[in-house]
Amino acid sequence: MAGTLQPAAAALPAVESASLAAAFVTALRRAGLSCSPDRAVRLAEALRLIPPSDAGKLYWACRVVLVSSREQLPVFDAVFSAVFRGGFDPAARSGSPAAAAAPPPGGPEQARTRPSPAEDRAPGQAPPQARTAPAVASAGPDGGDRNTPGREAVLAMASTEERLHQMSFAQLSDAEVREIRRLASRLLLATPRRLSRRTRKSEHSSARLDVRATVRAARRSGTDTTRLLYARRREQRRKLVMLCDVSGSMEPYARVFVSLLQGAVATAGAEAFVFSTRLTRLTRQLALRDPDEALARAAEAAPDWAGGTRIAESIRHFVDEHGRRGVARGAVVVIFSDGWAQEDPAQVAAQMARLRRLAHRIIWVNPRKSAPGYQPLAGGMAAAMPYCDAFVSGHNYTALAEVASAIRGNGQPLRKERGNS
Amino acid sequence: MTTAARTGAEEDVQRRIPDVAALISALDRNDYLADVGLATALFLAVRLPQPILLEGEAGVGKTEAAKALAQLLDTPLYRLQCYEGIDAGEALYEWNHQRQLLGIRLAEVRDASVTETDLYSPEYLLRRPLLQAIEHPGPRPAVLLLDEIDRADAEFEAFTFELLAEAAVTIPELGTIRATHPPIVILTSNRTRDLHDALTRRCLYHWIDYPGPERIAEIVRRRVPASSGQLALQAAAVITKLRTLDLAKAPGISEAIDWVSALAVLGIGQIDATTAEQTLGAVVKNRDDLELVGARGAEWLVAGTGG
Repeated sequence: MAGTLQPAAAALPAVESASLAAAFVTALRRAGLSCSPDRAVRLAEALRLIPPSDAGKLYWACRVVLVSSREQLPVFDAVFSAVFRGGFDPAARSGSPAAAAAPPPGGPEQARTRPSPAEDRAPGQAPPQARTAPAVASAGPDGGDRNTPGREAVLAMASTEERLHQMSFAQLSDAEVREIRRLASRLLLATPRRLSRRTRKSEHSSARLDVRATVRAARRSGTDTTRLLYARRREQRRKLVMLCDVSGSMEPYARVFVSLLQGAVATAGAEAFVFSTRLTRLTRQLALRDPDEALARAAEAAPDWAGGTRIAESIRHFVDEHGRRGVARGAVVVIFSDGWAQEDPAQVAAQMARLRRLAHRIIWVNPRKSAPGYQPLAGGMAAAMPYCDAFVSGHNYTALAEVASAIRGNGQPLRKERGNS
Repeated sequence: MTTAARTGAEEDVQRRIPDVAALISALDRNDYLADVGLATALFLAVRLPQPILLEGEAGVGKTEAAKALAQLLDTPLYRLQCYEGIDAGEALYEWNHQRQLLGIRLAEVRDASVTETDLYSPEYLLRRPLLQAIEHPGPRPAVLLLDEIDRADAEFEAFTFELLAEAAVTIPELGTIRATHPPIVILTSNRTRDLHDALTRRCLYHWIDYPGPERIAEIVRRRVPASSGQLALQAAAVITKLRTLDLAKAPGISEAIDWVSALAVLGIGQIDATTAEQTLGAVVKNRDDLELVGARGAEWLVAGTGG
């Protein structure tokens, strides 16, 4: 018989495996991993099938059942080794439920920096951890009017804040920044359309004949084919990807741009990333409905906020980890950066070339462009220019209109050397 | 123990896969080398049973794992390659309208009468992978592979899961088809988008790590029987070395297999600087990467790999 009995000492009784599962899931939840209670049930079942006779078996059974993405692995590993003291060390062999029932790890650093589950916290309230986030996270509770029916706020709309619209973001007071951020997150961003693989019914005979639909229709009216139905490819908006430089030199602008990113994620289904010394994906954090909460989460997730800049490295990371997988293919990519980096310009050019081969359009938003007499000569910026389809400033609210228009695709076709500047 | 809250796997399956170690050796007999992590994941997927989501770099053997599992259970593998805009007609079933029309015309010619039930009989049904997997008569459940689920639309993802949870399909003209042996479901994803929480909640998850050189060599030996063990080891060492470079497209296991096959066809028994340079196109498939490797030189590549 293949089904030999496990050593009796190794197999945990059902009750114990259930309490072990529950305790471990609780420890994971406290460390910030989203583990629903039904996972504990599943883990108890798994441990019945795979008696945890050594730490390796226990580890793999727990990991397969409780982890749901690669990003969770570091936290999971830290909690596992803290709870079961010793991780893979066979000498530790501590499948004992006593260890699992012990208070959650005070140690693992990763566990600390993770945001705790949303439900543990009142909406809009600051997370318990100390934040090192700058201005973006500091908005007060006055954003309460964000439910005003002004979702389609149009740029050209004349408002009492005309002056505000013309002022560079760098000159705004904190209160004004708050107002601008509210407006920026409401900007409607729309990418150009492309043909999708999906079809829709069409009356025009120029489209492809849809035999299936025709027969289905004929079946309803009788057996004879009376009316021909056609299908044409449906149009779909291109994907929108936004990469925002949040290094020190960009700080006055980044606080507004991140709001723009947030609006884009919420309304246009954009993918959002920030970078300074390294790249951080913020789509998940920014997808929260509460903008202040979203920005606070974003600041937590990107610990190098307001640090130095490594543009080439960040773009390389983006292309390798996200762009090539499909995020950037055929997409409109918007980069918000002043192009000041401590890197070899040749590196920037090489990475921009890779991005260029994936993306449909690349739009570079550089607030320094508004300065009188500015020429994109600084190393990184000059290297990136040949790969950009549009180069706009976006330094004040009115200039954001240029960004929106460049995303729609009515910008100056920079690369074709047409136009006057 | 047999009276668990849930039914668990069928007895026949339980007998074939009694524990993780048995699964590893059974996969091994089917020329698939699984480490204990992957084997645990597949074991739980079969025995709980629960759908499993496999992720990992391209070419680490996600699809192969499903094939090997189907082979060792001696059961068919139904594979659904997902893509943007895939719908129920392509995934589940569709009526063969052309044949139905033809049937009507034939009946007219022969002066036979055709009723609607004739036209909507199972012979006019085009069965797509999801329906095939659910209809599978046994004796053991089929393996259903939903490849690259992240390419399909989110709505399709939800639809599929609803269907698999029910393990039944209702076709208005035919009635409800209930699975006698609900399929073992394996999903793969390339992480082009976040999968829906509802999906990840229902699935087991395993990230397949890139294997070390010894394991690559072992896989290559299995897949290219014509090659010598020495050659496989050497190729694995070179590929592991290449992966330390910052390549745009790092070579994977499939490249190792291609390369050793190419060398075997060319009758080359050992990799040296010259042969490596000549056949590099089987491994490095990007101009920038070729330049990067070229800058290091073929000598560096084969140094210390036993060549």
